[in-house]
Amino acid sequence: MNLFQQLHHDRARHLTRRHFLGQSALSLGALWMGSQMDLACGAGLKKNPAAPLAPDLPHFAPKAKRVIYLHMAGAPSQLELFDYKPDLVKYDGQDCPAEFLEGKQFAFIQGVPKMLGSQYPFHRAGKSGQWISDRLPYFEEVIDDVCFIKSMWSDQFNHGPAQLLLHTGSQTPGSPSAGAWATYGLGSENQNLPGFIVLTSGGNNPDAGKSVWGSGYLPSVYQGVQCRSQGDPVLFLGNPDGVSQKLRRRTLDALNDLNQRVATEIGDPETMTRIAQYEMAYRMQIHASDAFDISQEPQAIHEAYATRPGKESFANNCLLARRLAERGVRFIQLFDWGWDSHGTNDQTDLRKGFADKCRQIDQPIAALLKDLKQRGLLDETLVVWSGEFGRTPMRENRGGMTMSNVGRDHSPSAYTLWMAGGGVKPGFSYGETDPIGYEAAVDKVSAHDFHATLLTLLGFDHKRMTYPFQGLDQRLSNVTKPSRVVTDVIA
Amino acid sequence: MRCQLTILATLVLPLSAEVSVDFNRDVRPILTKNCTTCHGGVKMAGGVSYLYREDTLGKGDSGKAIVVPGHPEQSEMIARLLTEDLDERMPPPDHHPHPLPQQDIDTLTRWIKEGAKWGDHWSFQKPVMPALPAVKDQAWGKQELDRFILARLESEDLEPSPAAAPEEWLRRASLDITGLPPTPDEWAAFKQAWEGDPQAALEGATDRLLASPAFGEKWAAMWLDLARYSDTFGFEKDPHRDIWPFRDWVIRAFNADMPFDQFTLKQLAGDLIGEPEPGDLIATAFHRNTQNNSEGGTDDEEYRMNAVIDRVNTTWTAWNATTFGCVQCHAHPYDPIPHDDYYRFMAFFNNSEDVDINSDFPRTKVADDPALQADAVRLEQLVRQRRADMNTPMRELALKVADWQTLRFDKATAEPPTGILTQGEDGIVVTSGTTPNNTAFLFEAAARPLALIRVEIFPESDNPAEWRGRGAVVSGLEAAYVGADGTRTPIRLREVAADFIAGPFDPNDALAGNAGGVGDYPMTKSPRTAWFIPAQAVAPAGGDRLEIKVQHRATCNESQNCVVQRLRIATSEDPALIAYLDTPEHHALWNEVAELRKQYQAIPGMTIPVMQERSDAARRETRVFIRGNRMTLDKVVEPGIPELLGAPEKPRNRLDMARWIVGKENPLAARVLANRLWAELFGIGIVETLEDFGSSGALPSHPELLDFLALRLRDHHAWHLKPFLRELVLSATYRQSDKATPEIIGRDPRNRLLARGPRNRLTAEMVRDQALMVSGLLSRKMFGKPVFPPQPDGIWNSVYSGAKWDTSQGEDRYRRALYTYNKRTSGYPAFLTFDGSARDVCLARRIPTNTPLQALVTLNDPAHMEFAQAFAKRMAEAGPELGERLARGYQLLTLKQATPATLDTLRALHADAKAEYESTPAESAKLAPTPDEAALVLVANTLLNSDLALNR
Repeated sequence: MNLFQQLHHDRARHLTRRHFLGQSALSLGALWMGSQMDLACGAGLKKNPAAPLAPDLPHFAPKAKRVIYLHMAGAPSQLELFDYKPDLVKYDGQDCPAEFLEGKQFAFIQGVPKMLGSQYPFHRAGKSGQWISDRLPYFEEVIDDVCFIKSMWSDQFNHGPAQLLLHTGSQTPGSPSAGAWATYGLGSENQNLPGFIVLTSGGNNPDAGKSVWGSGYLPSVYQGVQCRSQGDPVLFLGNPDGVSQKLRRRTLDALNDLNQRVATEIGDPETMTRIAQYEMAYRMQIHASDAFDISQEPQAIHEAYATRPGKESFANNCLLARRLAERGVRFIQLFDWGWDSHGTNDQTDLRKGFADKCRQIDQPIAALLKDLKQRGLLDETLVVWSGEFGRTPMRENRGGMTMSNVGRDHSPSAYTLWMAGGGVKPGFSYGETDPIGYEAAVDKVSAHDFHATLLTLLGFDHKRMTYPFQGLDQRLSNVTKPSRVVTDVIA
Repeated sequence: MRCQLTILATLVLPLSAEVSVDFNRDVRPILTKNCTTCHGGVKMAGGVSYLYREDTLGKGDSGKAIVVPGHPEQSEMIARLLTEDLDERMPPPDHHPHPLPQQDIDTLTRWIKEGAKWGDHWSFQKPVMPALPAVKDQAWGKQELDRFILARLESEDLEPSPAAAPEEWLRRASLDITGLPPTPDEWAAFKQAWEGDPQAALEGATDRLLASPAFGEKWAAMWLDLARYSDTFGFEKDPHRDIWPFRDWVIRAFNADMPFDQFTLKQLAGDLIGEPEPGDLIATAFHRNTQNNSEGGTDDEEYRMNAVIDRVNTTWTAWNATTFGCVQCHAHPYDPIPHDDYYRFMAFFNNSEDVDINSDFPRTKVADDPALQADAVRLEQLVRQRRADMNTPMRELALKVADWQTLRFDKATAEPPTGILTQGEDGIVVTSGTTPNNTAFLFEAAARPLALIRVEIFPESDNPAEWRGRGAVVSGLEAAYVGADGTRTPIRLREVAADFIAGPFDPNDALAGNAGGVGDYPMTKSPRTAWFIPAQAVAPAGGDRLEIKVQHRATCNESQNCVVQRLRIATSEDPALIAYLDTPEHHALWNEVAELRKQYQAIPGMTIPVMQERSDAARRETRVFIRGNRMTLDKVVEPGIPELLGAPEKPRNRLDMARWIVGKENPLAARVLANRLWAELFGIGIVETLEDFGSSGALPSHPELLDFLALRLRDHHAWHLKPFLRELVLSATYRQSDKATPEIIGRDPRNRLLARGPRNRLTAEMVRDQALMVSGLLSRKMFGKPVFPPQPDGIWNSVYSGAKWDTSQGEDRYRRALYTYNKRTSGYPAFLTFDGSARDVCLARRIPTNTPLQALVTLNDPAHMEFAQAFAKRMAEAGPELGERLARGYQLLTLKQATPATLDTLRALHADAKAEYESTPAESAKLAPTPDEAALVLVANTLLNSDLALNR
């Protein structure tokens, strides 16, 4: 860059900054905020429309600054992992009593299935003595940091709707996801990276597709940005073939020149916003590429996480989650697909494929929690783990037949979710299911209750964190159905 | 934020001391914002509601008068607002720490003092043609609508901007009307005409644009958001759906300037129009764009109901901009619409044949040869009618049969034997145990002579609350006499009659060996009866037994069986039906149906899902859902339209409903459409909330203008869009320059008053189409299957789906954006980033954003780089000089002459890039054969990203 260009560049940046401080409140961002403020009803949060992702303060001092959500898409069996049910083992192989079947809908079970005891032995672990099966030996080492909710329940028994319910509060597409709400409420601490990042593993997107990280009726800047293991981590982040970073800088300088002239001539504040957005895109190219380059990590870290750079894996995503958390990304959402243990083949057999899936997540999750802790990040980072519902205490009998593999059907009435860090009680367990792990029985927690609790941990009064849409002050914790903050899990 | 409040003050004229209080303008917004959430349709806290005047003038639970007209001091409302007792104060301090602003309290006080006059919400009153307002500047206006804009500007002491330069107007109008920028030839012709007679040039160009085939493509893009048109089902597997002929129908309708009332009738009720035109059934696919959940085990009835609810809400959003969805669970919180109205309206949609099954039944044929479409429609309707005609006399005869004898079975077993069958006193066989798909029932009874077999299929329980949401379908029935020695004499069954014909199966399927048959599908809703007619009356030999086998093959909810849960079989010796089968009447009908079917099937084509009404005999009952929950049902309701909105007498079906929507009684539809078309051109609607004209939406910035436009569109132009849009783009308002002074930006940053011309970001579609157009790549091929332009690998990753993004070759790679395949769970990334709709649900307004991710798309997306490469080649055609090339590129994109300073910037960029590429030949070669050309590609990429290019 020659001196003249440098001068010009600096001027553009200066103007851009001044623009943000001054007239920017009138720019395009004002369009959506303005439109909401015109409405007779509803307030929503007060946002700076020119910088919708600028870091913002919640209603009160937050316990957690950011969230890492590990979603096991397909719904892992609570009965093979965390929900210890010795009674169920006793009933193993017997016909399911009629009262468990009346009024129930199943995805695949027909007629009278057999009861199925846990396929793995349970024991107590850690100083907190929490029950756990033998499938997660690494995870046991951090169990004293974990707060279980064993009484989660859903009213959706299919993957897509259940995932939507858990992540957006509504079983049909069109509502903003928890990550979009968090980013809307808190902005992002790093303007050079998206505020809400989604990482997937297991070979497939979650069943409900991209709607589970959509922005719904919130402005689209709050939607999750799916980052990828292969190719550009953020779509179109890399310069195209034949364009070096140096030339990219050069084109942006020329572009700023052109746009600067347009701004002066036409006087549309939106033009200045555009200049700023292009500069932000440029910074994102550098910062995101850096954030996603896990090869920079030392060998010891790779060994701890069981990561292999360049592969799509849940382990890599856990390490990325830590790197993104360090950089101030507000909401990091991982989806790991492949937990739908129906027992239709080896892959979905509780004794086979399920055990493989457990191995794939066990070491990385333990490493993530330890790593966050040793960096002092766990206190301010809320880590959540769950599926979208639980699995039946009955063995699946697809088509009314006995199957050669062992599996369980979908069971919305009970599942386990755990949280760690970010202001939750460590080494604690909340809620209980009935003696066979079929239905949440004590201290039941719905998706709406969970959302209310999540927002509380992030520093929001969930009833006041609203956005006006369709004549209602909409909120994550739901307007029409009851929701409560589960204060017992908050430290 | 402060600036915004200034704008609002300018938008809604402030209340001054001389002007009396207007309920709608001044009072209702205060009530809606602060009071009706608790004192309205959902809650009537303390017995107080502000939805209706009689309630407001009544007494609350406290016994005190809420509002006493003329006497604010006697009105409890005002006392509660003013009190300092925090236990009494409204709004309650726990949720509203601050009392109402004094200004609002003053307004309410003055309103009561002036008599507490009421007014229905503005949008629920019929529009009235306003007088054209007086203006000082008589010369400025070009169209009548300009008077409204100018009068307002004059009242604000603002002056309109000068007229736009011809290049500015032409580019804006071309993009607004056709979605494409003008070609160099079009620009040259326009410029020449302009130099002769500007007005004639503008009119000529407008007429050319309106007549362009691209017109329909641009306006279809708007409509398809409302129609939530997509090429997939949605939800988990998100499988492919063939429904693109609907998209083509919309394009053709816009191009033909089909009046909006016809456009509406055909889409909402094309199947009910007496003599449908060839495209009318395809049009009804509008409401088959609802999502269909094909995930294993999903309750088909639940998702059928979801689709019906979506149709109700979409109809109200798209045509009436009313948040009718609110009324699903309770009376409308802000507007006087009672809860039952939702279900009365839902009844219009609750009687269609579709049932969330994977076949997307019912479907209509789209003939490959458009000339055969009329035949396809005629034959399809005729087949259905004649098939019903064939069944009717058989049913009538069967209902007259009197000698029924219920079969009492000695033996009733299921195959496989995990199923258990038990016959009760009433002869009904009840199923229990495990009955997988393909379960058969085997019955044995004492033999008897018979000439007819009646099968009654009952829901699993008499209590609808206990139904499991499954179907019950007898896919096959076999009967035989079995002698003591084991000899079987099958009883040949010839035809099946049914109580009525509905759903995807023909009763005779029960004899055809396929999965179809008789019963209720995919959910048992009521008892069903079928009559199996033997070829001849039969009688057993002595000692014979009667054996009956009932076969199930159908599945519902994607994975669950449709095994009959309660069944009764009876026989008769009455030969009436056997005799009837041999009557000439029946033969004629049989042959006719067969012949019509053959003709229908012979028409080459594809099928798409459409709306189709169930017969009166099969009509579904509609009940109010208590609190919106389909499992808790309240009273039965008849189809109806909210009385608030001038309901006609006894509307019977969707066609009557559609006629009401576009009729003169409905105060909303014309305003909503005029506002939408205005917003397409001006960026913001006169009512900004295109989706909500109710109390919770925004107020119109120019109420009289909106009524003027609505009536102009509906009455003067008889719902024709083209002449209406012509007036808009030829108006002085639209013709203004988009240049803004800091002063006007300060006064009216969002250009609500239109003291300058509109300047809007290109839509997602336009970003692609413009780049294709200027780079010379654009294929002008219209219609047909959706296409797959390049997108990065790994975007489509749906579960249980083998669907692959197979990048289109040839010209299909370069089609307009609207032909791009839309997968609901994984939309085309570049479009979503530019605020395109995922098309999950009806979207009435895209909210434009300005983000770094958009910059990444147009800078780096390989598809956009390909556009830049082609654009550079086109620039190079200007001549050998770099200056010519740069000027050409700039002009192709913006129509403007590049200034010397701009050319310098581009020239310097080219020089630096060229130098760089000369030192990195391998990199250079990735873009173009020579460093000089590669540098031009980089310039082209830069130009395509410029603010001028991305705005119109």
